[in-house]
Order: sequence, then C-alpha cells, then structure tokens
Amino acid sequence: MEAPYDDRLLHQRVVGGDEAALGEIYDRLSSLIFGLSLRVTRDRVIAEDITQEVFLIFWERPLAYDPGRGTLRAWLATIAHRRAVDHVRAEERRRVSTLGPRLFERAPDRLEDTVLAADQAERVRQAVTALPDALREAVELAYFGGRTYRQVGEELGVPEGTAKSRIRLALRRLAGALAEEEV
Amino acid sequence: MEPLERLYLDALLEDPVEPTGTLRPQLLAGARARRRPAAPTAPWAEPYAGRVAALDALLASAVDDDWSRVIVEGWTLQELVAHLAAKDGLLAASVGAPVLGPELTAADSATRTAHVQAYERSRDPEQTRRDWRAQADALCRHLAGLPAGTPATLDGLEAPAADHVLARMLETWVHTDDAARTARVSLPHPLPGHIHPVADLCARLLPWTMLLSGLDASGRGVRVTLTGPGGGEWNVALGVEDPAPPAEPDAGITADVVAFCFLLGGRGDPASFPAELTGDRALARDVLATAPALSGP
Repeated sequence: MEAPYDDRLLHQRVVGGDEAALGEIYDRLSSLIFGLSLRVTRDRVIAEDITQEVFLIFWERPLAYDPGRGTLRAWLATIAHRRAVDHVRAEERRRVSTLGPRLFERAPDRLEDTVLAADQAERVRQAVTALPDALREAVELAYFGGRTYRQVGEELGVPEGTAKSRIRLALRRLAGALAEEEV
Repeated sequence: MEPLERLYLDALLEDPVEPTGTLRPQLLAGARARRRPAAPTAPWAEPYAGRVAALDALLASAVDDDWSRVIVEGWTLQELVAHLAAKDGLLAASVGAPVLGPELTAADSATRTAHVQAYERSRDPEQTRRDWRAQADALCRHLAGLPAGTPATLDGLEAPAADHVLARMLETWVHTDDAARTARVSLPHPLPGHIHPVADLCARLLPWTMLLSGLDASGRGVRVTLTGPGGGEWNVALGVEDPAPPAEPDAGITADVVAFCFLLGGRGDPASFPAELTGDRALARDVLATAPALSGP
C-alpha cells in the first residue's frame, strides 16, 4: 500500500530539514506510537523514551522511509514495536540473569518487521469474532475484503455513512476489548 | 502492512493514550542535536537550503565504502561533495559571504573544484561533509539579509543572486539524485513550492542554452507546459534580446517538470526525452537538444 499524499508531503518536508513538519507528524501520530509502546512495555517512562526515539530516528534518517512502500504510520509503528519488544526481551534477560538460568527458555517470536506479535494478533482476531454481527461484517469487508466505505455500504445494504459509523464503533469496541485483556 | 495490523493500529487510534506534554518540546530540542534543520535564509533561497538538508540526510547514512565509490564525472562521493562546496564557496565569495576551505585563489569553478578536492582528499569524509554543510549554511545565513536582485557572478555569468542560488539548488538536487541512485535510496522530490522557482529558472534559461549552442531563434517563441507538482506554463521568447515572447508561440513542449529540470541539469538524453511536441516540431526539438548546454560537471 502506497502512502497517501499527506504522508508524502510531510516526508518531503522532513527530508528538506523542516523541523515544523516533525512537530506536525508528532501531533498526528504520537498518541498512536506511545499507545503501542505502552501496550508492549507497560511502562509509561519507557514508552515515552521509545516514542521520542522513534520520531528522532525518522528525523535523523528520513530517507530510510520509502512512501512507495507503505504509510508513515505503519513505518513508525513498526519501529516502535521493534524497540518495545527489544526492551521487553532485554528486561527478561536481565531478570533471568539475576534469578539464574531457566531450564526452558521460551523461543523468541519472530516479529522484527511487524507491529503485532503472534499472540497479540490472535487476540485481535478473537476480539473481531466477538463483535456483534453487524459490526463484525463491516470490519471484515473493510479490512480483510479491501472494500471502500461505499462498497461496504452497498454489500450490507446500508448507506455509506452507516457503514462508516459501524466501522468506527467496531474499532472503539476492539480498542476497549484489547485494553481490558491487557489489564 | 497486513490487514490485521492496520486494523490493530486503527483500533489503537480510537483509544488514544497521550504521552506527557513535555515530550514534544523535548523531542524538538533533541531533533536539532541529532540532525541540523535547514539553515534559516531568505524565502527565495529556501529551495536551496532544503536540498542541502536533503543531501546531508543522505550523507548521514554513508559508510566508508559509499564515500570512495565513484558517483559521476569520475568523482567519488567525497570529491563530489567537495565540488559542491567549491561552487557554493564561489557564489559566497561573489555576494560577500564567508568562504571556507582552502584559500580562494581561483574564481573559475573547475580550478576551485580541483583546489577544494585536493584539500578534502586528505581529510576524513565526515569532515568533508561538515565542511560542505558549513559553507552552504554560511551562504544561506548571509543570503537571509540580501535582496533577491543582488548582482552576483559565477563562472563569468552575471545574474541576480536569487537565480544563482536556484542554479545551486538544481545542481545540489541533481547530484543528490546521482548519489541516491548509486546508494539505491529512493529520494523524494523537493516540495512543489521549491520545484516551481527552479522550473521557472530553467524556462528562462532556454534562450541562453539556444544561444550557447549556436542556434539563433530570435523573434520566435515556445510554450513550455510542465506537468506535476511544482509545474506550470511558460511562454518563452527564444531570443536573449527579444523584448517579449510572440503572442502566438511557434511551438509547444509538454513534459514532466522534474524531468525537464533534470534535462537542463544535464541528466537525460534530449533525443529520447519524453515530451509532447506541437507546432514547429523542429524548433521544439532544437530547444530540447540544446537544453543541457549550461550544465557543467
């Protein structure tokens, strides 16, 4: 999926050394990046460090991001996730070394280039399944069926606006369900 | 990105968790320390300052092998950066800005390039990068206080400082593209607002590139339509002394704005240049064939 025009423009500005563009990207994406880091690390201070580092990496090496290959949001989220997982693993190793060796070490998940670990992905899938039918259908068509809001509306026999609001409602329910499970 | 991951991120956006408010100013302060922003300068020099920042971002990722790899003109990346510093320094000298590097003893860009390259070869590539950036930023800061029409001379060519700095923008852009291709990095275009003034300069240079190539098209005109962000339409008089372009252009050229700027910058073959030609096609082809005439190394 290619990046939208806004992403391209912000990327062009950051490559051209425009600090204000970095501020705009932060305003738009910091709560997402922070939320993602917090969910993985469960530590506000660490999650803030990771958030800061993610935006700094983008500012320092903006050409590492290629808008032809994906959205800025996905790019930053992937870096944040990788950093957060690295942190959690380092913490585990530290704990292991203070507690002494374990007999069985869990094999690390392979999540270098993803924003979802396998167990988290399974939780998202389950949360989708648990949605009321009307919401679940809309989400499945939009995300797994690649339909536009208008097409979702047509297939479900509802106006586009209704399809859109069902998807938003579904996303909010998903967010709530995922947050509850993590407590 | 997987649909499931997209769904997950969209769901997270519905449940925003805000970092503390102090993180934003902390981030922006940290950013300045990690990578210098574009130098503050006059609005008409901003396209140049932007390309300097872009090349610097590319150079930030260069490792030893990259610096010694030949990019263009038989020059390594380090020598290419020294070449840019040499020409930036000559423009700096012409407008009274500080000239960095070896003592200025030659005013033509070929000799000055040789001097700066000889000086930089004995230095670490990272130092060369810093020297080039310091020269470019010194020029930008000096231009901040100058009117756009300040006369300046580079390689015997007298023109307003604003035109010279746009030419520096184009050369920096073209060479950044050269280096990015070698490094297999995808380089985004400058902002449309930065491309447009350079495209305007390129259109205005056409009578000169014709003249320099020995073609006299005085009294004739071409309509140049450049497509894409930053493009526009120019009605160009092809004689350098023509008071105004003819009301009805003799020929029309429609092309991509970036490709057209790069053609003037010496990149791309005029014979196979993708353009739509109308009217007097022979004239339009002459205009394209002579377009690279002002591009040097």
